[in-house]
Amino acid sequence: MDTYEISSFSLFLCLLLLLIPLLISYYIKLKLISKTLVTVARMSIQLFLVGIFLTFLFDLNNSYVNFSWILIMLVVAGYTSIKDINLKVRDLILPVAAAFFLGNVLVLLYFNHFVIRLDNLFEARYLIPIAGMFLGNSLRGNVVGLSDFFRSLKHDEMSYTNRLSFGAKKYEALMPYIRNSLLSSLQPTLASMVTIGIVTLPGMMTGLLLAGESPLLAVTYQLAIMIGIYVSTMLTVSLTLLMTIRFGFDRYGLVKQEIFSN
Amino acid sequence: MTTVLVEYKDVTVSFNNEDIVKKFNLKLKKGEKVLFKGKSGTGKSTLLKLLMGFTFPSLGSINFRGKSLNCDNIWEVRKNVCYISQHSDVWEGPVIDIFKEIFSYNNNAQDLDYSKIDSLMNYFNLDKNKLYQEYDSLSGGEKQRICIILAILLPREIYLLDEITSSLDNEMKSKVINYFLEQNDLTLIIASHDSQWESNNIKVIPIGE
Repeated sequence: MDTYEISSFSLFLCLLLLLIPLLISYYIKLKLISKTLVTVARMSIQLFLVGIFLTFLFDLNNSYVNFSWILIMLVVAGYTSIKDINLKVRDLILPVAAAFFLGNVLVLLYFNHFVIRLDNLFEARYLIPIAGMFLGNSLRGNVVGLSDFFRSLKHDEMSYTNRLSFGAKKYEALMPYIRNSLLSSLQPTLASMVTIGIVTLPGMMTGLLLAGESPLLAVTYQLAIMIGIYVSTMLTVSLTLLMTIRFGFDRYGLVKQEIFSN
Repeated sequence: MTTVLVEYKDVTVSFNNEDIVKKFNLKLKKGEKVLFKGKSGTGKSTLLKLLMGFTFPSLGSINFRGKSLNCDNIWEVRKNVCYISQHSDVWEGPVIDIFKEIFSYNNNAQDLDYSKIDSLMNYFNLDKNKLYQEYDSLSGGEKQRICIILAILLPREIYLLDEITSSLDNEMKSKVINYFLEQNDLTLIIASHDSQWESNNIKVIPIGE
């Protein structure tokens, strides 16, 4: 069974649907018209380019090129999570990218080898989409976890120095903060696991179903992927916290003010 | 001859070009007790925090057992000195968990002595069931007393007491003051505007005059 193609004309018909949000926006003066148009245009170009790029990558299917692409994805993920929470990129990009690397690539290779049992671990068709799913989720987790960590530390520095006053070492005194930010970064993944299949059919499963695979295969893949996502998110966020604590605190155990970008 | 434990040497602290502390000098031997007396905002807390390495002098130095404080020996200082902050909203969760957390730190590796907690709670007029309440639900005075009990249990050689009696009534205040002043071995630096601390075995140093 083949997937139905979407022709250019059909795509045009799909875009016509946008008239609905545009009209609503016009009548209730949401001022979303230009933003919607710009965003959709941007997304179209982005996806179109990715389409061309992935076609090229899949055809070439060279392990080195595939892996290099993963590395680029890692650095961009690291950059985005630092930038998003107003920390200085220069000081933290290497440690955070390293955390993404360890947290995702190890799980990814384990996953490809033991779970999917790929002959070539770097097979583009598997490596890149799965890496994208792991990375996307650990990026989201990282932004939530890191910003929670630094926000509560900034807001409540007294509790931290107070723990140092009562004999705690740096990591002992930071443990409550680490615990809280890990919890808040994992909460969304756990929540989506709870409703999975009932409220939402996640993208990966939908993709396999549309591609004509059996629901059972789709479900197995989804289950495996969700576990991979949970593990890689937890690992990445833990490692990122360890790394930023290592590089973001001075030897007196105080947070370096210069890591904040404003 | 007893050696000097803590020494402030020509210490100046400035923030935004304003001197909070100016050319401050003090030598403190084991068992000595001093009171930094002055209104709030005069730099009393800053002087205490300097010794903990939570803030740093712009000029001068702070010595601990003859060695100038730096990022290595500060951890040794923090093992020997306990700073009780004037802010008591620094813990959360059930009170008993705070006790357990503090005694899980490597530096405080010892079993929680429940009978000692009991007798201290008793001495400071705290009902035993406060131990199982949420810290947040306690009154300001109760929080202060819990912090004091936690600190006493550690135990440390030097205590830095930063306005620790501000939310206590007079009777409780004198109990706390007596408890600390009666112990000859303890070295104390007290920051307070309260003259109740003044007694014959304490050296009063006016700050900010």
